[in-house]
Amino acid sequence: VADDLIPAAAVRDTAFIGELGLDGSLRPVPGVVPLVAALTCRRVVVPAECAAEARLVGGHEIRGAASLGHVVSALQGRGGWAEPPSHVRGPTVSPPLPDLAEVRGQAVGRRALEVAAAGGHHLLLVGPPGSGKTMLATRLPGLLPPLFGDDALEVTRVHSAAGIGLVPGSLAQDPPFRAPHHSCTEVSLVGGGTAWLRPGEVSLAHCGVLFLDELGEFPAVALDMLRQPLEEGVVRIRRARRAIDLPARFLLVGAMNPCPCGEGSLPGACRCTDAARARYARRLSAPLLDRFDLALSLGRPDVDDLLGGPPGESSSVVAERVRFARLIAGARGVRCNAEIPPPLLDQWCPLSADAAALLERRLRSGTLSARGLHRIRRVARTIGDLDDTGPVVGERQVAEALHLRNAGPVLSEAQPS
Amino acid sequence: MTGSDTLTDDERFAAAIAALGAGPVRLRRFLDGYELRDAWDALASGRHPADPDGRYRSKARPSLVDSVEKGCVRAGIGVRVLGRPGYPVSLASDHEAPGVLFTLGDPSCIDTHPRVAVVGTRSATPYGLGVASELGRGLAGAGVAVVSGLAPGVDSAGHAGALAAIPGAPPVAVVGTALDAPTRRAEGQLLGEIAGRGAVLSERAPGSAGAPVWLFAVRSRMMAALAHVVVVVECHRKGGSLNTVKAAMDRGVTVAAVPGSVRSSASAGCNALLVDGAVPVRDVDDVVAAVELTISGRPGIVPPRTRMPSSPSGGASVQAPDPISARTLQVLDQDPASLDIIVRRCALPLADVAMALEQLASIGLATGAGGWWSRPSR
Repeated sequence: VADDLIPAAAVRDTAFIGELGLDGSLRPVPGVVPLVAALTCRRVVVPAECAAEARLVGGHEIRGAASLGHVVSALQGRGGWAEPPSHVRGPTVSPPLPDLAEVRGQAVGRRALEVAAAGGHHLLLVGPPGSGKTMLATRLPGLLPPLFGDDALEVTRVHSAAGIGLVPGSLAQDPPFRAPHHSCTEVSLVGGGTAWLRPGEVSLAHCGVLFLDELGEFPAVALDMLRQPLEEGVVRIRRARRAIDLPARFLLVGAMNPCPCGEGSLPGACRCTDAARARYARRLSAPLLDRFDLALSLGRPDVDDLLGGPPGESSSVVAERVRFARLIAGARGVRCNAEIPPPLLDQWCPLSADAAALLERRLRSGTLSARGLHRIRRVARTIGDLDDTGPVVGERQVAEALHLRNAGPVLSEAQPS
Repeated sequence: MTGSDTLTDDERFAAAIAALGAGPVRLRRFLDGYELRDAWDALASGRHPADPDGRYRSKARPSLVDSVEKGCVRAGIGVRVLGRPGYPVSLASDHEAPGVLFTLGDPSCIDTHPRVAVVGTRSATPYGLGVASELGRGLAGAGVAVVSGLAPGVDSAGHAGALAAIPGAPPVAVVGTALDAPTRRAEGQLLGEIAGRGAVLSERAPGSAGAPVWLFAVRSRMMAALAHVVVVVECHRKGGSLNTVKAAMDRGVTVAAVPGSVRSSASAGCNALLVDGAVPVRDVDDVVAAVELTISGRPGIVPPRTRMPSSPSGGASVQAPDPISARTLQVLDQDPASLDIIVRRCALPLADVAMALEQLASIGLATGAGGWWSRPSR
């Protein structure tokens, strides 16, 4: 424009995004979706490869170009813009999610997954190696309702900013499933970076599942960084040069062995020293453990079940119940039951007389803490929604909720009291 | 409790020498052939032949004598010196007897009772805990002092059983840490009760932090030296209880073991001992018979007599309140089973099983921890 190559009017209300190569080519850049969404101008010129992604935002006139020469000639009116590739794409086929029907046995574990998906309850699975912790966790996204509306856009923006593969030509639909390895750094977990702020795993798992396998092996510092996003649903990254809030509302699934040797859940089977067990248990801070509404102790599955027991319900059947339960929860004005604030518990989760008696018995015997009480009530509410048992939370639901949180003693036993 | 306000001179110096932190062998060389005061002076001046390179000289400051004495008096800890009055005779004859013994309670009860060490793993099954508690109770009731290490698991269960017998023989605990060291709450309470009715012994001077690894082996040999019979209730294949077993075999002390399921790793050590010829133990009577064989004809010790067991499980059994609970109770076993297995065995929804378990637990028909459930062992 400055060299009068292009008339000024031609670039009015137009933004240009892209990386200019030395040979004049335009290279694709990550994060096109949030960039475009932030622009208020009418027309945006992006590298041709990014055009499809940029169009997801809607509301802008998106032009793709392959090189700088291409852009200049188009703006001079001498050539046309690259036609938007007319995607003759079939319906987007995402790879099939693993199905719950493949899990043999594990009736309790399956139920815990269902409750976690329906109520948005964070889930901790504790069990020896080979008890199916990972197998169960990978089935969770298949139970969650598909993304739509703002959630889908937000997920797409975050994933675009991170430069990870999107389903071409459409917003993200499947809830993301992120499973960072326990050697990951704190920054890769929560996000950050010096030159280029990149969303971390917690943001990439936004509206989906963050699965931390071998929870006890994650550095304690990294785990404690999860507490703030767990609480607020956003992660506030502050650096010397920039500050940014990224969405990070995820369903946390943790899996761990009960102790270093892995056999500690079965009484009498553990071969660890007390010190080793205490050290292992200390890795997880009490406040973090507290965030798990569901904490399930798993045993190895029965041999008969593995060798052709009856297959359980498939994901689609369970997902339908989950969808229904979420609808009920939505009517309460919360996204899911895990978000019911304590003051509203009495309104939304009234207890029947015998349910209250059961809880009181547990409280008095010291096997339930006051803080755990709220969580049990929320989980019982979700169970009630799943089974459609009406507004009052009964003894059955509370008993089930208590038993879906039975891994506490395994961990606290190892903690020096 | 010994309630003295000060220690005698001998006790003060013996305690201070023990507080230097030397191993058991060196400690005895510090003491052998010396008056206690002279031994201390020799150490403090670096002239003791058992400390040729003067390693303990810098530690042997006069302030140590005072601080150890204060520690003893504050916690009511008694000091017994090998070869002097008050030291348990049954321990003094052992070739590895500790030079200085710190005590809570009344150690004189040790010499007048037959003694059985009840030992086993820390990570015990409900079966092991139940048997340990039964044995402890039965032995104490029969006039046998239960010796154990106060560790969590079998040790503690044995002692808790012994304390439940009224009247019962005094319990004896041998611990690896100093007697004033902070303990877990449950152990601290148990320790207090044992000190009140029997005796607690330690080789560590008050104020010594932690316990070096060798101390647990050393503690094991003290238990073996004190016991007429060592009973291993539950023990893993390479469990720490085997230290006690080895020490007992070195001394010719009878080793007995409680058999367990061949599938339970917590019983693997016991079953292996039985294969190697240990005395099998089914109940208190088996132990008492072994003790009688060992001590018959020894003066000063009254042989144990078993009394009739106090009516097992209290006669009429408690009924399950409803059909679902009854069904759940049926699938419960003495061996713990995971919640998942119970749900499968019942073939009922989780909510029903959960409710049944809560009900059974509230009337004492089921017991569970960490998602594993079993029938309580009486």
